[in-house]
Amino acid sequence: MPANDDSKRDRREFLQHGLMAATALAVSEAGLRQVRAEEPSTGDASDFAARLPPHVRAEYDGFSRLRPSRGNDPDSDFYLGKLVPGLRKIEEGPAPFVAPDLEKLPHEFKNGAKEFHLVAQPVTREFLPGYPMNVWGFNGSIPGPTIEVTQGDRIRIVVHNELPEDTTVHWHGFELPVQYDGASVLTQNPIKPGKTFVYEFDVHEEGTYFYHTHVAMQEAFGMVGWMIVHPRTVFDPPVDRDFGLIFQNFHIKANQTISDSWAMDWNWHTINGRSGPFTTPLVVRHGERVRVRILDFSPMQHHPIHMHGHTFWVTGHEGARSPKSAWIPRNTELIAVAQASVFEFIANNPGDWMLHCHMTHHMMNHMVKHVGPRIRTDEHVDQFLANLDSRPSVNPGHDDPGFLVPGYPQKMQGMTMSEEFMKAIWSRREVQGMRATWPMSVMGLMTTLRVLPDDLFEKVMNSDEQIPKGSVFEEIIARFGDPNTYDKPSMNMMHGGRKG
Amino acid sequence: MSVQDLSLHRAFAISLVMAAFAAPLAAQVPLVPPAPEGGFAQEATTIEELRWSPGPRNQIGEPEAYTLSMMLEWAAANNPTLRQARFQVSGTLAQAQQAGLYPNPTLSYVGDNIGSDGTAGEFQGAEIRQRFVTKGKLSLSREKYLQRAQVAEHLAVVQQFKVCNDVRLHFVATLAAQDVLVLRSELLKTSEDRLKTSKELYNLGQANKVDIHRATADLRRHQLELLAAENRVRQQFFRLSSLVGVELPARPLEGTLASDRQLIDFETAYGYVLSGSPELLAAQAKLREDSITVRRESVQWVPDIVVSGGTGRNFTNNDAVANVQVSIDVPLFDRNQGTIRQAQADQSRQQQEVRRIEMILKNRLADRYEQYISALQQVTSYEEDILPELKAAYEISLKSYRANREEWPTVLDSHQEYTMRRLEQVQNLQQLRSAEILIDGYLLHDGLEAASNPTPPGHIDSTPKPR
Repeated sequence: MPANDDSKRDRREFLQHGLMAATALAVSEAGLRQVRAEEPSTGDASDFAARLPPHVRAEYDGFSRLRPSRGNDPDSDFYLGKLVPGLRKIEEGPAPFVAPDLEKLPHEFKNGAKEFHLVAQPVTREFLPGYPMNVWGFNGSIPGPTIEVTQGDRIRIVVHNELPEDTTVHWHGFELPVQYDGASVLTQNPIKPGKTFVYEFDVHEEGTYFYHTHVAMQEAFGMVGWMIVHPRTVFDPPVDRDFGLIFQNFHIKANQTISDSWAMDWNWHTINGRSGPFTTPLVVRHGERVRVRILDFSPMQHHPIHMHGHTFWVTGHEGARSPKSAWIPRNTELIAVAQASVFEFIANNPGDWMLHCHMTHHMMNHMVKHVGPRIRTDEHVDQFLANLDSRPSVNPGHDDPGFLVPGYPQKMQGMTMSEEFMKAIWSRREVQGMRATWPMSVMGLMTTLRVLPDDLFEKVMNSDEQIPKGSVFEEIIARFGDPNTYDKPSMNMMHGGRKG
Repeated sequence: MSVQDLSLHRAFAISLVMAAFAAPLAAQVPLVPPAPEGGFAQEATTIEELRWSPGPRNQIGEPEAYTLSMMLEWAAANNPTLRQARFQVSGTLAQAQQAGLYPNPTLSYVGDNIGSDGTAGEFQGAEIRQRFVTKGKLSLSREKYLQRAQVAEHLAVVQQFKVCNDVRLHFVATLAAQDVLVLRSELLKTSEDRLKTSKELYNLGQANKVDIHRATADLRRHQLELLAAENRVRQQFFRLSSLVGVELPARPLEGTLASDRQLIDFETAYGYVLSGSPELLAAQAKLREDSITVRRESVQWVPDIVVSGGTGRNFTNNDAVANVQVSIDVPLFDRNQGTIRQAQADQSRQQQEVRRIEMILKNRLADRYEQYISALQQVTSYEEDILPELKAAYEISLKSYRANREEWPTVLDSHQEYTMRRLEQVQNLQQLRSAEILIDGYLLHDGLEAASNPTPPGHIDSTPKPR
């Protein structure tokens, strides 16, 4: 289940009943919804500009939050939207942190500290629908649940070890008393199976942090989770959305569910424990300021993360926000192992945009040698399955003239997906209205950033309305592109080209 | 395998076996062309270049199949050794008949003292002479050879078992050769696929020329294995038809290698063999014959009575006269004592012969039973575990390939391993069936060995007057 399904249901119910929510988090969202419910949006840019809160503008020094633009001057504070604020106010508090497909770890106040209970345990996680994999994580999840605190909190994390071997937990980046550092046997005795250990310290930091086991192969086996420390004072400019994505790599053989943590090459790639197209898109409203925090917790591989359609500012890394003078604009950021990078940008370009690692082999799952019946015009693997005791003969030659060209075929063929698989992929609200063929292009370390005009955002995220495949994308083309030159996907494309 | 699969499997097997009986194929198999320089991307391969082609089909009508019962029937009617064995029996019966026949009387014309007193003689007339055999010698002689005929009958049964067992053994061997041919064809298809896959990998930069050469050589090796399998089908069929004793047109055999026999226990099998082995029965019958021989030689010393008499005319006085003579041999020096001892020695030897045959049967059974039980263990393990596991591995690898998680070369490896083990199972089943046939058939085989006569090796002849 995506991480915040309950809150999404609440929002849809709220909208349907037309009532105001009471919490601070709900107020801002509800406030926006109220405005839009009372004044249905046409999606028109001028209409949108007119509906902005009074404390923000549509345009800043030549940079527009409504359309792709640069700004008038690279030295301007608003160049590429650098300091263009989000639609929410600082005094409304931090935007809710959302790690798609992950839960938050609850806490209670006890003896002057926020007390969390973290359980290190074996976990089965569905990387793709129908592909449950055996890894280790926390509290039934991999990555583990997000620990969210505020700068200045005293926190107490009781770690319960339900693994069959010793473990420790390291609080990556925190400057804390050394006995709580969790650096395996360097700073503490290991936590034995069935035992607990209490980590307690004051958090003077703010920023993007994470926790992980400090037993090497357990790290490779998946044990990591977000630890987000909100600043005492919300950073300026405030963001409307705050997403966290943890990138991991695994090696899992065919017909196997257990990750080989000793492998030196990886064939399964996950974002928050899901592989594309099972990664849940980041859905934002057109014009919002968005923060995306990305952590690379692969065993040994760095990831050049690329965002389509937008230029972002790198505003921080693991452990600290960068001073504004050090912010760098780019669209591809190399994130090394155990590093995090924080991107901020104005979502001014409506559409469904890929957000992915640009390493070729990370843009697919369980890649195998591309030979055999899949690339032959006169064979299908089902012919072999029809009779296991007598296999079909093979034509020694190839009818396809492409084989006269060295290197053919480079395009993956025969990537069919079962009905149950597609049903699971399409079951999430976040994907409603995307092009029918989108699952064929988002694989491995890939997810999607969806920038939706208000009305489409409401339709997708805050209603139960049945949305035909491709309809939201086509509407965006109609409003912001050229529908005369746009072709819908064909049935053949929806079946992945040739066959299996 | 479903019934439909069986009939498809059989039809394919028949077509392969028909090809096996075509003209020698080695000269027709084209050489695989060498790899061109610069790679294979531009090579346009054809079936003729890469694929082994079977020879011309047998021209005799639609393929039919021979069954085991047909073969046994023909062998019973035509195998020459069975006829030989029957002639041994009839020959021995003839001996018995001859041995029991009463001696013929002798009729003589006698002229005595011819010229006495200037006459024709003192006796001119006819005499008749008859030997009267005493002490039942003739009946004992007949009894002895009748007993020998029983030996010959048991030996005829031995020959029948040899022939029938051999027909069964070679029928099973030919069925096995047919199954091997089908499986070798499966392996050839995978080898062809492997070469094609290597070329696809080469075009993607994932294989090199070394890989292509190796795949080509592997294909050639599998082609040769297929040819060898065809040759073996031909060989086994001709061996079978030689046992049957008729010239049979080449046709496939119909049957299954699977055995539905209950488990054979060694002690039970040993008891079965000891109680019913025709070799042992023949030896025991010979022992009875030797006992009769001793009795026969023991009465040989009792003289027969020879009576002769006749009438005639005495021409010296013109009287009608008659004469009569009765004579016996007086057993003073020769009471047949040496021959009796020979007969006794032969009887004692035959007692040991019976024991020897019992030991030989045990010795043979030990070998066959080891073959049987080892084959049964293999067959059972392959049937219950090894083949289902490998079939599952192959199926899973195919499904995994379909889900884009497995590589095609790994699927080919799975198919090859599954088929190699099926080949081994064919050998296991042949071993098992052969052992069962021999144990059930009193361990007898070699149906073209000449039928033996009732006189066993080492027999001591009772010769009355050795010279």
